[in-house]
Amino acid sequence: MRPLARPLNFSESLGGYFAYLNRALKANFAYKASTLLGLFTAALSYAVTVLVWSHVYTQKGSSLLMSRQEMFAYLALAFCLNYALTINIDQRVGQRIRLGLIATDLLKPLDFQLSQATQALSDCLFNSFVGMGILAVVFYFLGGQILPKSPQAFGLFVVSLFLAFLVQYSIVFLFIQGAFYTYSGYGIFASRIALHQTFSGLQAPLTLYPPLLLTVGRWLPFQHVIFTPVFIYMGRVEGAEALRLLGEQALWGFGLYAAGYFAMRKALGQLEIQGG
Amino acid sequence: MENALTVENLSKSYQRRLRQPGLLGAVKGLFASRFEEVQAVKGLSFSIGRGEKVGLIGENGAGKSTTLKMLTGIIVPTGGKLEVLGHIPWKERRQLALNIGVVFGQRPQLLWDIPVEETFKLLKTMYRIPEDVYQAVYGEALHRLGLEPLLNTPVRHLSLGQRMRCDLAASLLHAPAVVFLDEPTIGLDLSVKEQVRGFITDIQAKFGITLLITTHDLKDITETCDRLLLLDKGKLLFDGSIRAFEQKYASDRRIVAETHKPVEASAAQALSQAVGKSGGKVIEAEGHRVVVEYHEEGAAPALIHLILQQLQVVDINLEKTDIETIVTRIYRSDTAKA
Repeated sequence: MRPLARPLNFSESLGGYFAYLNRALKANFAYKASTLLGLFTAALSYAVTVLVWSHVYTQKGSSLLMSRQEMFAYLALAFCLNYALTINIDQRVGQRIRLGLIATDLLKPLDFQLSQATQALSDCLFNSFVGMGILAVVFYFLGGQILPKSPQAFGLFVVSLFLAFLVQYSIVFLFIQGAFYTYSGYGIFASRIALHQTFSGLQAPLTLYPPLLLTVGRWLPFQHVIFTPVFIYMGRVEGAEALRLLGEQALWGFGLYAAGYFAMRKALGQLEIQGG
Repeated sequence: MENALTVENLSKSYQRRLRQPGLLGAVKGLFASRFEEVQAVKGLSFSIGRGEKVGLIGENGAGKSTTLKMLTGIIVPTGGKLEVLGHIPWKERRQLALNIGVVFGQRPQLLWDIPVEETFKLLKTMYRIPEDVYQAVYGEALHRLGLEPLLNTPVRHLSLGQRMRCDLAASLLHAPAVVFLDEPTIGLDLSVKEQVRGFITDIQAKFGITLLITTHDLKDITETCDRLLLLDKGKLLFDGSIRAFEQKYASDRRIVAETHKPVEASAAQALSQAVGKSGGKVIEAEGHRVVVEYHEEGAAPALIHLILQQLQVVDINLEKTDIETIVTRIYRSDTAKA
């Protein structure tokens, strides 16, 4: 009789998480047609946004808070960042909860939240790989407009990018918990996307929002996925203000991650998986 | 024998939403929900020693899968105690996962998008499986389950039988101390079922694995298990060896004789009287066929002797009620359940 395996400590578990990341990346490459379709749809949505703003600038001149060039650079960066940080695990996990396949995920000797984070990271790495191509095209049209304002701004942006991933993943994970109660991920997924598109700064910088929407946006975490890192990258916020935003991002990121952990514990307590 | 798992007074109930029929019912359901309480498992108690091979059977909805899900830590019981390898499953799911293997016949654990071998390698890393253990199980799986041609195929391209074989191998790669198999042969053809059972038996013997199988195919149980648990509506109806089960529920045995000439009424009458004294009963004597039923173990030689004395027999067979017939009778019989 084989002796029992002892529990793995965190460093021993790391190999498992990396293996998970590796396999998730391979799985992403398996769906080329889906990736291209997603890219096309995202580009279409971006083109519409640019056309709308182009029209607004033609009508209003430069009376807005940003110049036309700055706005186009912002939108290009926001689009690229949004594409890179697109995480689809809520659809996948929602589907697995509905079909009861979540059972097999819970039987792995890995932390579910962390293993889903590796899945999300693989989504982002894959999207960033594709996103490099988009960035090259954008650079061709906008040139220096999309370069970082300064090396300091770029350094802060890298930190902000990591935190943006943490915030985005933690939001997605928290929304996933809803699927344990509704047994359908669709409504959960749709509401998260709607909130993200409204308050992340994807369509326009939050600073252009009417006061009420701006206040709501400031109290929600979505701004830290796109608006905050892009503004830091562009040098629109610098110094102490940039550090304050990074602190806020970190608070939201770690706070939401912890909230996700407790929500998951509660959700698992009432999980039902019907049928054999 | 050290216990691998202990279950004491285990219960599980859940709320089931009641839907009213029709479109109007669906609309009403938006505003007022009605629920009913379903008691899936009621006060279940049993224990299984290390290395035991146990089959868990019961009708659909008897609570078999729910019990397995509680034992693996996926769902939380509403009452009672359970311990698997010293862990409370739902509290220490990750620690327990290292020492258990699970197959849900209807829920594959293989990774859908990548080739089978990649999944095996991922599991090897994830479970930190020692090379010798991995090679032993992997080699056996390739050989017994014929997996070699499937290794480079993405899981989504596998047939049900191929997927089930790969899934079984994946769940046993780390040679876990306890293996839970929930309908491991569901939907498989006869030859694949044989392969699966053979592999389970070999790996169990090699590593002394504790086995708990739920199935509707009783051959899975008779070929791989020594002990049987029968569940009915969430309660344990029988717990014992397969032989004890047969003795308890299948005391009727039959001798079927084919005669040279049609059996006359007088001969049947005489035979009836003769076998009656030896614990037998003629239950059929028509044409060339005579059937004698008896209950006492060891009564067959005397009864056969009597039949051969009184009739011109061309062929004779001993028939024992098979386990499937017994279980079907139990499922149908309310008195047996009581």
